[in-house]
Amino acid sequence: MNFGVTSYTYLIYLAISIGLTIWVARTLHKNGRVFLVDVFHGNEPLADSVNHLLVVGFYLINFGYVCLALKLSESVQNAQASIEALSLKVGAVLLVLGGMHFFNLFIFSRMRRRASVVNGPPPVPPDGFTTVQEA
Amino acid sequence: MPRLTVLYDPTCGLCRRAHEWLVLQRKLVELVFVPCKSTEARQRFPRLDHELTSKDLTVVGEQGEVYMGPKAWLMVLWALSQYREWAYRLSTPELLPTTRRVVSLISQNRYQISRVAGLAK
Repeated sequence: MNFGVTSYTYLIYLAISIGLTIWVARTLHKNGRVFLVDVFHGNEPLADSVNHLLVVGFYLINFGYVCLALKLSESVQNAQASIEALSLKVGAVLLVLGGMHFFNLFIFSRMRRRASVVNGPPPVPPDGFTTVQEA
Repeated sequence: MPRLTVLYDPTCGLCRRAHEWLVLQRKLVELVFVPCKSTEARQRFPRLDHELTSKDLTVVGEQGEVYMGPKAWLMVLWALSQYREWAYRLSTPELLPTTRRVVSLISQNRYQISRVAGLAK
């Protein structure tokens, strides 16, 4: 069996893609927690749970894409072709990661805005006060 | 859930229609509807000027906070799950004057609007 340039390209591609995915997921996990704790009014177990579930989804989508995008249309013969192919594939993975990352941020910020609206104070001060006789 | 009492004008078709619509909306604050100048309204709020409440929509909070006219409209909007953001948007310093003008216009012409829209009894 010939373990040629193409196979090495695949291995490097996998190493870079997996490394990048893990790095982005960890960043999201670490910094997203603060947002979620705020959204869930300090309910840390719930925030951690949602955070974890989001990260799992993030991993699944990214690894799924990395796997699907692995195959090169033609085998590469030398280092130059290998680097070019790698750059193309890793570039695509980076864009998908970036897109997913912003999508996650969008979800976080929307949850947070929604929560702040639901607990918001009255929009205007009253014109005056009267006595209330309970029925 | 906190509660707001809405004193509305039962003689105006537009107000009745709005009341029907409001009953169906999902709420963050409970809305209790009481016809203005009714015995019930007078019993609940013995010190309120009930002549004023028939001129403009009035909302009263649990602690006796009174909101009249445009402010009452904003409070009703604020009570609705779907429209709370709009209450904040319409009450910003930039939009509040316009909100006041539009609400007063509708309020003052509510009988004519009801007639034109075919909502009058």
